[in-house]
Amino acid sequence: MTYLSFLNCILRKEIATHTNLVVFGQNISAGSYLGGLTAGLSVPPESRIINTINAENSLVGFGFGLALSGTNAIFFMRQIDFLLLTTDQLVNTYNIIRNNPAGLPGSFTIMTTVIDQGYEGPQSSSNNLGDFCSLARIDAFTVTNKRDIEAIIPAQLVSPGFRIIAASPRLYKTDLLEPPLAYRSPTGNLFQYQEGNDTTIICFNLSFPYGYALAQAMQTKGLHPSLFSVNIPVPIKWNVILESVKKTKKLVIFDDSKSMNCSYYALLAEARLRFNLQKEIIITRHLGSDWLTPNSDQLEIDYQKVIKDIV
Amino acid sequence: MNMDKRSIAREVIRLRVQQMVVNEWYKAGRFKIPIHLGFGHEALAVAVSAVMGRGDWLFLTHRNIAYNLGREKSLKPFLDEYSLKPTGVAGGRFGSMNLIHPSRGILYTSSILANQFPVAVGSAFGFTVSDANGIAIVCGGDGAIEEGAFYESVLMAASIKAPILFLIENNEWSMHTSIRERRVDIDLKKLASSLGVLYVSLKGNNVFAYIQALARARKQILTSRAPLCIEVKVNTLGDWYDMKNPLYPQGKFVKYHTGASPSVMLSEEVVLQKNADDPLFVLGKLISEASVKKMAVQELAHIRKEMI
Ligand SMILES: Cc1ncc(C[n+]2csc(CCOP(=O)(O)OP(=O)(O)O)c2C)c(N)n1
Ligand SMILES: [Mg+2]
Repeated sequence: MTYLSFLNCILRKEIATHTNLVVFGQNISAGSYLGGLTAGLSVPPESRIINTINAENSLVGFGFGLALSGTNAIFFMRQIDFLLLTTDQLVNTYNIIRNNPAGLPGSFTIMTTVIDQGYEGPQSSSNNLGDFCSLARIDAFTVTNKRDIEAIIPAQLVSPGFRIIAASPRLYKTDLLEPPLAYRSPTGNLFQYQEGNDTTIICFNLSFPYGYALAQAMQTKGLHPSLFSVNIPVPIKWNVILESVKKTKKLVIFDDSKSMNCSYYALLAEARLRFNLQKEIIITRHLGSDWLTPNSDQLEIDYQKVIKDIV
Repeated sequence: MNMDKRSIAREVIRLRVQQMVVNEWYKAGRFKIPIHLGFGHEALAVAVSAVMGRGDWLFLTHRNIAYNLGREKSLKPFLDEYSLKPTGVAGGRFGSMNLIHPSRGILYTSSILANQFPVAVGSAFGFTVSDANGIAIVCGGDGAIEEGAFYESVLMAASIKAPILFLIENNEWSMHTSIRERRVDIDLKKLASSLGVLYVSLKGNNVFAYIQALARARKQILTSRAPLCIEVKVNTLGDWYDMKNPLYPQGKFVKYHTGASPSVMLSEEVVLQKNADDPLFVLGKLISEASVKKMAVQELAHIRKEMI
């Protein structure tokens, strides 16, 4: 099963159960169904699906309005680049609503993607979900594998309050990753997939598949890393990760974003402050003048070399 | 604009054949970037290029290929651009969705819907400030005019008197959603006139008539120093029937939006549809089908030579 078909399947299942729900977005029930993400969605008679006009800021306002009135809302938005048009609603409206201690009676979720396969040029230079969310401390979740999809979608898709969930189009046609789960934080912002003493691997933004590949390559060499994925833009409580770093004193960080302000900086600063690190390897985008031209976003990683460096 | 009828016809055919070559390369998997082809947009693109004055500026959208080809004769720099090579028309830095060509008047191209409208109003007002003789022409589709930025831009242009032509290509589709499936009709004539903006409607794909209408509009904008809105009925050709969709085992009509069109084949038969939706069909009626075919053969031979 592919990542996309699993995600689509779980979205369909969730959405089919909710009454009092409005699912809306551009092209969501036409054409390619957002590349297959929204294919086959159906809702009970008391709910609605709307194939909307192109008016992003208004659509986000519409979602907040629905949730304010107690009706649940899901806005399917093709990619976060188009959400840039909605910063007024995301910051001003959301903050005004949040300031009311009663909060939002309904649920509002923006289900979107972070363009992470590249080739879209200037418009996809914004690929760090954390940047987006830090504008108004918005809760957001990335989903990259079976475990986090299973944990996050049912818990967050329709639940009082507001959040963004982002998928990875780069993974759409790839086989669904099913890593064994060692630990997950109650809020679904931190997942641990392996426990080991040889090194601590931490993945940010949508980079989990790279970290998982490294962990597997290490295992075939008889090495046992701890593997984490931070599925929400920081700040979060790092304790579980820091406990691991305390043991391993070795750190490998993956971050596939092109941001100037990466989510891993805070963790790295704290780890450096607290422990005498023996090794730190940071695998991220090395951006030259090509950061806004169309090119591949795939990280080229020589895993054997990384393992050699760690050992 | 100093073009005889024959050269104008040749331009329309050139844009068709060149796009057909792009489509073949696309089918062969030679491009990694998204390209939105503009089969059916050729007459309008040729007319825009023909009426553009030396200082005029053009502002485009994701579906810019016909306009870009219209402003530059040779195909090779485009194939290189789409292949992201330094020899591309924009150094391989833009690909397709944002392709600009400032030395030929294409100042800015946006892949974000309606983003180009306010930018164009700004540049148009620059003509007023510097007392220069030029206009801005900004394109946008029936999907883009749904964005608030369109209304704001027309209002702004009318209020400050910016010499700008809003050229709205209404192909009735936004990606794979028809107007009927997403909204009520927008009566652009009423919308424009409610803001005191002149409105002209064009249809029929007669390139000679389009040139006349656009030239008149340009003159009107220059004398009034005020905006004007032209809505053009277009059919973006290249649709196909999808037999593979698991949701529609009986097959499903797919409106062409982006990518390679499987229904368009490179050949001397350049007419894709035998009605007024196809500028090449209309051209055949205007100058003769045999002339269209003859010029298509010549254009193909020219491209083959250019490629060697
Ligand atoms: C702000 C924004 N929202 C959504 C999109 C996705 N999108 C790309 S092209 C397109 C359809 C646009 O329709 P129209 O303006 O009529 O142009 P056409 O493709 O029909 O030529 C959409 C919705 C986008 N590029 N920008
Ligand atoms: Mg359209």
